[in-house]
Amino acid sequence: MDPLRQSIDQWLLLAGIAAYVIGAFALFGYFLLRTPLLRTIGLPLAALGAASQFAELGARWWMTGVWPLTNLYGSLSLFSACAVTIFVVFALRYDLAFVGGPVLALAGIALGYATTWNEGYMPAVPALQSYWIKIHVPIVITAYASFMVAFCVALIYLLKAAAESRYAGRGTALRGAAAGAGGAQIGVTMNAYAAAPALGAPRNDTPAIAAAAAAGDATAQWLAGLPSLARLDVMQYRIIAVGLPLLSLGIITGAMWAKEAWGAYWQWDPKETAALLSWIVYAAYMHLHTRPEWRGTRTAWVNVLGFASIVFCYLGVNIWISGLHSYKM
Amino acid sequence: MGARTGGGVALRPLAALREAWDDLVRLFAHVPFGVSLLALWALLTLIGVVIEQGKDPSFYASEYAPPVARLIARLDLANIYHSAAYIGVLGLIICSMTAATFTKVIPRRIPRLNPVKIEAIPLHASVAIPGDAASVRARVDAFFGARGWQVRKRAFGGTEWTFADKNNWARRGVLVAHVGFVVIAIGTTIYWAKGYSGQFAVLSGETATIPENGATLALERFGYRIDPIRTKAGLVYQPIDYVSTAKITGRDGTAHEAVIRVNQPYDVDGTLVYQATYGFAIDFKLTKDGRPAGGPARPLKEGEGFAIDGTSRSIEYTRFVGTIDRATGRPAADPRPNDPGIVVQAFDGDRPAGSAMIALGQPVDLGAGYKLEAARYVLYSGFQYRYDPGIPFVGIGAFLLLAGLCISLYFLPARLFVLIREIGDGIVEVGIAATTVKGYDVFEDRFREIVAGLQRAPALESP
Ligand code: HEM
Repeated sequence: MDPLRQSIDQWLLLAGIAAYVIGAFALFGYFLLRTPLLRTIGLPLAALGAASQFAELGARWWMTGVWPLTNLYGSLSLFSACAVTIFVVFALRYDLAFVGGPVLALAGIALGYATTWNEGYMPAVPALQSYWIKIHVPIVITAYASFMVAFCVALIYLLKAAAESRYAGRGTALRGAAAGAGGAQIGVTMNAYAAAPALGAPRNDTPAIAAAAAAGDATAQWLAGLPSLARLDVMQYRIIAVGLPLLSLGIITGAMWAKEAWGAYWQWDPKETAALLSWIVYAAYMHLHTRPEWRGTRTAWVNVLGFASIVFCYLGVNIWISGLHSYKM
Repeated sequence: MGARTGGGVALRPLAALREAWDDLVRLFAHVPFGVSLLALWALLTLIGVVIEQGKDPSFYASEYAPPVARLIARLDLANIYHSAAYIGVLGLIICSMTAATFTKVIPRRIPRLNPVKIEAIPLHASVAIPGDAASVRARVDAFFGARGWQVRKRAFGGTEWTFADKNNWARRGVLVAHVGFVVIAIGTTIYWAKGYSGQFAVLSGETATIPENGATLALERFGYRIDPIRTKAGLVYQPIDYVSTAKITGRDGTAHEAVIRVNQPYDVDGTLVYQATYGFAIDFKLTKDGRPAGGPARPLKEGEGFAIDGTSRSIEYTRFVGTIDRATGRPAADPRPNDPGIVVQAFDGDRPAGSAMIALGQPVDLGAGYKLEAARYVLYSGFQYRYDPGIPFVGIGAFLLLAGLCISLYFLPARLFVLIREIGDGIVEVGIAATTVKGYDVFEDRFREIVAGLQRAPALESP
């Protein structure tokens, strides 16, 4: 490829990384300070970063004629671009900008790591020369990307839930001390409606944080400004509801491709089996989420476990375990 | 009386059995129990991913610490996906899913229309609207009707209730997903019962037969393309194409021209033949004191060997080397046969007696008057074949599973309970509450929009 084309490719890559790094700072700032200006800066930067990554992948394809998703570089690039796109869509639709810091940071790390796998422009090996690569890979990568965004929301959920428990513990101790042996307990019911919600007013499912905030605790005031636990839980559910059907479709299209390339739709190859493993974890998440007593902190942990299984499936298997999908071969 | 007592005695064990059965069904239908089975499935699958499957015991003995290798052997972890434990867990999952489907999912499909205590439902609101009860009721019905809600009215004890349902049909999504899973399981079982698969390798110019269906494949030639590509990490030899040109004869007795590539299998009477591997078979010439001394009658593939007649020695053809680096005498990176050679391993009985790389066409001295020459190579093509009558079931099952998943996740069945009361001064209070199959939180935003819409709707404003 000529130097001009190569430099277009590199400039777009650089633009993507720069937008993510600055955007991550802006959105982490928004998360911490709630300054609307930081949100106004961070969201367009996120969109710009994703756009330049899509442009870079498109440019690679156009300039070399080789589908760019045949190696870990292309695949991780698409992963970060999709994760940021999903984040931007949810941020606009459900006011989810506060989660942008971790999303952009992870996207930037993924992209930075991707560059270490950038061997240049390689034509695909025969097994990858199929139209299925254009269907199967983007679907699976988009599924992984949505799980990454859901994971970031889970982190914020768990942070707030842990803080609520801590404040509730402190409250109990204080009251216990004041009331002597018969001190009242503060019951914290996560994710349950303590009272019917007044329409328009944000629901308070973290009463201990609210109480501490009212008493002037600065950290509690900051935590109280985060969305309610119920809302954070619903956000995770909604994003996983994007990822799980995509992962299912990804496994199905992978099976269809495998039938065409290897002779059997299912070979128990480590990669496809690891994807099945992730599918089982998210199917478990969906089932547990139907149970009110499991919805909340427990399902958030299952979400974290699910994303760990995705990282294992996506990177762990490719790098450490050889098989039909391996980059190690 | 006696007969009755006897009947009771006969019935009691039956009743106990029935009770035990009911308990079992209840346990299996319990979602956390099902999820525990899913967790067990996930754990076994993880073991299968981490421990390389299908190797022989010596592999695990060399790769793992002795206690782990012993554990792998004892628990059959090297073949976990076909182990009794794995299949048993899948069977239990299907039982659990079936129990839940019949006791929970199907009966709960469409709940009855019953009045509720509106304030007791977490998602509730009331909207004051000027007008009389009858006209407001009509306008409220029209409001929901226009927004795609199925509106039904019932009177209970003289009080008229309006029920508005959305996506009731989608309550069947869970059923569809569960059925899909079972249909996939049926498809895979059909393959186990009736399908077959295998592999074979054919030398160019030779013919192979698929034993299960009698079809023959005569390989005319095998071709490949490997291109040197300059990458950031250096020169890489990238395979670009593998292609077998063959004549395949199936049940109709006619030889059909077939071009088989990776990703382009050939269908012979429902059995698909796939391009899987290729290699270089070697025509060996063995002489003793310059005269032919046995040696293999046909070209050997990698991994094959032959005994040297009249001695305890044998030779194994280990590996083909496309290009020998003449400067170092070692294999070069280019896998194409530019200056080919092979690696052979000699054995004395079972004992390795040394290995060597020999260039094609150059005899090597084995001692005692024996000379071995790798005379020429013949390309061979490796095929995989498979007949799987379960595929339509797996396909339909996968479609149902995906459809059920999408229905369950994207079409939320919700019910609104509407109670209209006149509260005086020409004002009517519209009490409204909402329930969904997934609790209240997921519907909170939507409920807020509905109530706001109800407050805003021009049709509801007083004339
Ligand atoms: C392990 C045994 C299983 C049991 C006991 C079980 C039971 C159930 C039950 C009772 C529900 C309805 C929950 C509710 O709405 O309250 C449900 C939902 C569902 N099940 Fe299963 N199920 C099992 C396995 C599976 C499997 C293997 C699949 C994959 C196809 C599956 C797919 C679904 C889906 C998509 C839903 C809807 C989830 C949602 O609406 O969020 N289930 N399951």
